[in-house]
Amino acid sequence: MTSAVATAERERTVTPRHVGWGAIAVGVIAWYLALPPILVRSFVPSVVLGVIAIGAGAWVLGRGESRLGWGAIAAGVIGAGGAVASTRSGVGHLEDVVTWSALFAAMLRFATPLLFGALGGIVSERSGVVNIGIEGMMLMGCYFGIYGADIGGSWVIGLLVAMVAGGALALVHAVFSVTLRADQIVGGVAINLLALGITGYLYVDHYGDQGTPDDVSRVPDITLPLIKDIPFVGDAIGKTNLMTWLAILLVIGLAVFLFRTPQGLRLRSVGEHPRAAETVGLSVIRTRYLAVITSGVFAALGGAYLSIGFLGSFNQNLTAGRGYIALAVVICGRWRPGGALAFACLFGFSSAIAQRLPTFSDSGAVLFQALPYVLTIIVVAGVIGRSRPPAAIGQPYTRE
Amino acid sequence: MDAALELRGITKRFGRIVANDGVDFDLRAGEVHALLGENGAGKSTLMSILYGLYHPDEGEMIVRGEPVRIDSPRRAIDLGIGMVHQHFMLIPVMTVAENIVLADEPRSAGGLLDVHAADAKVRELSERFGLTVSPDAVIEDVSVGQQQRVEILKALYRDAQILVLDEPTAVLTAQETQDLFKVLRALRDDGKAIVFISHKLGEVLEIADRVTVLRRGKRIDTVATADATEESLARLMVGRDVLLRVDKAPLHRREPVLEIQGLHARDDRDLPAVRGVDLTVHAGEIVALAGVDGNGQSELIEAITGLRRVDEGSIVVEGRDRTGASARDMVAAGISHIAEDRQRRGLILNFSIAENLALREYRTRKMSNHGWLSTRRMVTAARSLIREFDVRGGEPETMAAALSGGNQQKCVIAREIACNPRVLVAAQPTRGLDVGAIEFVHRRLVAERDAGRGILLMSLESDEVRSLADRILVIYEGRIVGEFPPDATEEELGIAMTGGGRREAA
Amino acid sequence: MSAVDEPLPGGALGEPGPDGGGQTSAARLAAYVQGGGVIVPLLTVFLAFLAGGLVILITGHNPISTYKAIFNGTGLNWLLPWTSSADRPAAALNLQQTLILTVPLILTGLAVAFAFRCGLFNIGGQGQYLMGSYAAVWAGSSFAGMAHFPHVIVAALAAAVVGALWAGIAGLLKATVGANEVISTIMLNYTAIYVGDYLFGLGGPLQNGAQRSVPVSNDIVPGAKLHVFWGDPELQGLHIGLFVALAALIVFWVVLNRSTTGYEVRAVGLNPEAARYGGMSVARNYLLVMAVCGFFAGLAGAMDVLGWQFRIATNDIDISQIGFYGIAVALLGRNTAVGTFFAALLFGGLLSGTSQRNLDPTIFEPELASNLTTIIQGLVVLFVSADVLVISILRSGRRLMPWRRSRT
Repeated sequence: MTSAVATAERERTVTPRHVGWGAIAVGVIAWYLALPPILVRSFVPSVVLGVIAIGAGAWVLGRGESRLGWGAIAAGVIGAGGAVASTRSGVGHLEDVVTWSALFAAMLRFATPLLFGALGGIVSERSGVVNIGIEGMMLMGCYFGIYGADIGGSWVIGLLVAMVAGGALALVHAVFSVTLRADQIVGGVAINLLALGITGYLYVDHYGDQGTPDDVSRVPDITLPLIKDIPFVGDAIGKTNLMTWLAILLVIGLAVFLFRTPQGLRLRSVGEHPRAAETVGLSVIRTRYLAVITSGVFAALGGAYLSIGFLGSFNQNLTAGRGYIALAVVICGRWRPGGALAFACLFGFSSAIAQRLPTFSDSGAVLFQALPYVLTIIVVAGVIGRSRPPAAIGQPYTRE
Repeated sequence: MDAALELRGITKRFGRIVANDGVDFDLRAGEVHALLGENGAGKSTLMSILYGLYHPDEGEMIVRGEPVRIDSPRRAIDLGIGMVHQHFMLIPVMTVAENIVLADEPRSAGGLLDVHAADAKVRELSERFGLTVSPDAVIEDVSVGQQQRVEILKALYRDAQILVLDEPTAVLTAQETQDLFKVLRALRDDGKAIVFISHKLGEVLEIADRVTVLRRGKRIDTVATADATEESLARLMVGRDVLLRVDKAPLHRREPVLEIQGLHARDDRDLPAVRGVDLTVHAGEIVALAGVDGNGQSELIEAITGLRRVDEGSIVVEGRDRTGASARDMVAAGISHIAEDRQRRGLILNFSIAENLALREYRTRKMSNHGWLSTRRMVTAARSLIREFDVRGGEPETMAAALSGGNQQKCVIAREIACNPRVLVAAQPTRGLDVGAIEFVHRRLVAERDAGRGILLMSLESDEVRSLADRILVIYEGRIVGEFPPDATEEELGIAMTGGGRREAA
Repeated sequence: MSAVDEPLPGGALGEPGPDGGGQTSAARLAAYVQGGGVIVPLLTVFLAFLAGGLVILITGHNPISTYKAIFNGTGLNWLLPWTSSADRPAAALNLQQTLILTVPLILTGLAVAFAFRCGLFNIGGQGQYLMGSYAAVWAGSSFAGMAHFPHVIVAALAAAVVGALWAGIAGLLKATVGANEVISTIMLNYTAIYVGDYLFGLGGPLQNGAQRSVPVSNDIVPGAKLHVFWGDPELQGLHIGLFVALAALIVFWVVLNRSTTGYEVRAVGLNPEAARYGGMSVARNYLLVMAVCGFFAGLAGAMDVLGWQFRIATNDIDISQIGFYGIAVALLGRNTAVGTFFAALLFGGLLSGTSQRNLDPTIFEPELASNLTTIIQGLVVLFVSADVLVISILRSGRRLMPWRRSRT
């Protein structure tokens, strides 16, 4: 679209973009109708809404907004299809699975480690260093969190030890990626292997057959006194772990830092055009070191949540790929903290559903568990908008 | 007038290359001092040392009478030295104001970035020095001329007293160049010391008070521009009388081999770059495409050679319509392409010479058999090409990266001519080459023209254009705006290149 | 040497771009095959084992006896002439195990190496291996009446094709929209795991018919099992998959170095821009290469299923790592055929030498040892990523030994 047409579009009140998003919403509503608490038992209204969404999507496509157009068509198809499937299953089943408040609480639980990892990933990648090693740094935090809580007797010490461990592994990544100018992706893969091996080794060596102690100090949940009695909201957020709140605060803090402070501006400049940053006197190397170490600390906190916030125990490879989902969250969220929050919640939601589905259908649960990965592939393929990373990412920087 | 800056005996080596060899340079406050030399003479290196990007192996620097060590750009900035780089050091996704205040940001209460103060400061500087910019525009949306103004403002924001401009006019139109000169004169009269790096003799004589000439890393001389001429400067730059014209046989133009009509193509950002180009190249002639960088030449070349989509228009080779053909098919149709950047686009540096020379023909029966590659035949073919084009520096098995730039370019040219094309498209074929290599390339192009090929030459160097071409086509904003004979003056060409004074294209 | 036309450090003359860097990182890895000879990988391995030994030492165990026990577990002592005849049978058994593990490692290593030569990171070998193994187990347990030879061919081919298609998804995305293949292959890995959990899990479509409470596949029919040529078939002897793997190595080398396809693959890997300007279709090559890589990895899955696994349980899927080991194999082997062979042998030895079956638990706990293998693998990959580091250690070593002629 030439700029003239685009301006004209912007000046009209109802643009194809509005219609596109509206159509997607209609598709979502189509499915929602069939679910508790509304539980419309006929699929007719949902199919009608679905068709409307598809039609609107086609119109939007014709007006040049291809991504929104296809998105609306997809929403219509999925919404109607999901509604049809839901009307064909028993009300009891649906109510078992779809208890919104419990789902919300579970979503937060699943999202927390993803959020920490993603925020760490954002910091590192905004400075220009690819961090595939989030998984490994998370795993370090996972093991060392519970180890520290065990040895030190309190979850505070556990968190501190976790942060140090994550930071230390991140330091290795920084040395190899920034100073030795090694390939950052290969280095990240190595970091993950190292973490897997080191934590597994130390776990077997230290805890052997019995596993971690049952009574290790854990990060407390925060019970909100008045709120917990409110019907829906109370079940949803009345009793959430401290670390979840911490993660949300971190989202806000990082957003302010990146986009409203001088230091955030400098960090971003190093990731976009390091030579330009160097010519105004910034130290690219120092900035990248700090960023990578910080990302390790954040990721480790996410891992620590898993062991001493949520589960209360550790097993080898406990993170099981969450670090990669965190990376997906970074990409889908376009390297912005707000976007990371949105997608961490989306993926958390999908995991929450997957957890409850086995009461309904075993195999269905598995497919829901695969959702984050499939969704990331779709995003990376640019179907949901082009995701543009910091310009200088992944390229080793040479001073001379 | 006191010396703002003195560089004494600066020497800098990169491995075996001596980029600067005992260079002396002094700069007075309130003057424009040009640093003149060919590509690679050491001008940029010297100034990078001044700006703290490189460390000198020997020599000393004295700023306003005090000896200093400049080990980082931060130090240079603190000493009042500002640099406007040839390739802008601007962050495309950030705004003008953000780029200017980066690392010296105004803060509001609580340590946050004060965007309003930044905008206000930028507007104030902009008015004071006559450099028009819009503070909240995003750099990648802004014109090249404005980007350069932002670069200059970056230095002035930090109170630079010594301003270094590295080839600032390379990307400017003639009008923008005059605007820049006006600003520079105002800054000079304000007492600032300005270093103007260039390889363009005319501009140096116009704007500078003094000029220092570098050649192959050494300082040759420093003269006042009032006492110099283009010829005297050229002689200092090159070391001998420069052959400004290649000996050419008279034009023997034959049938048209390439006919372009109404060609439209877009650039990488989907904006129209080629806006209706008509041109014809005949066998036995050299047609030169002249213009300021960024007016669609590169996109036009890519469209002709099948590397860019053609939106509208036609490309006819030897009477057959080849519009929309792939790069490979264009070669088969008879168009060869000497690409713009030999290291990035012309050669695969980690391949051997033989493998590089085979790049166009490896699928033909000459070198392979139903998918089975014959290294023996590849090497044999390479040997004969190496001999014919006098490629020095290695055997067919040597890696291309080991060759010098001139020999690398010879490989590219050899490969493209070996395809026996009817049309040879050469994009900036002598960029970054030393004079000897340039002479070789020029002689070869003329030889191919005499042998009956049609040559389309794209070049940013007006000397090269005027010496080689049988016809000069000027491209401006994606259209051919004028056709000139080779004896056209620089003024005529310059005016056309900036959109004025149209003459009918053939 | 002229001061004018040498490329200045940081890239081509006056070239723009954020950091003035010359090659892309993928091109660096594609070019990694040159320079340094065989010393660099050997040095890398040595350093990795050294660091691993330090880990053993720090945690209170004896590195020397540990490594010795692991070595005996590999069965490589069978090759040494001074091994006593009393030890030989056990060593033979161990060596068979090592070679059994080497087979899939060669193939998954090639799956990664071929991609690297084209400038692509195929981190998805694990997923491609798994998808291939699903196809193999399905084909192997169906068609009960088929003759042996055709049955094996069908099963292996099915596996390889499925692997190629799975990798082709990532290749297609890269070729059409330029989607980063690192991300998409990692995601496909996990998706493959869940696909397997679904297929062979309780109630899944391919779950075995006999034991409905166990999430495992059907067994492959005896007619589809690969022939064992060394050792006892009942005790997991060495099967002919070894020859398939060796053949794959030869095919890899021939295609890459003697075919026009290989020429294009290498050109695209070293400089995709110049390849495009030379008329090659970069996108087509990306798709083709990914498919070929998936073919190799899928074939690896078939070799394991038909050679010694004979069935797939969801447990096996979740803990399988062989595709990931392929990454270390390819990197250590510097993406060449010969290197891949030796690197696969090394990691095969490590894997079998540290297994429950072969490692003497009194000397070193096998579970600890398998984690140690992971650490060593990580170190190898880490050092490879910083080829600069290893090469500079090598150069400083060379300076101490003036009689060696410098070669690069």
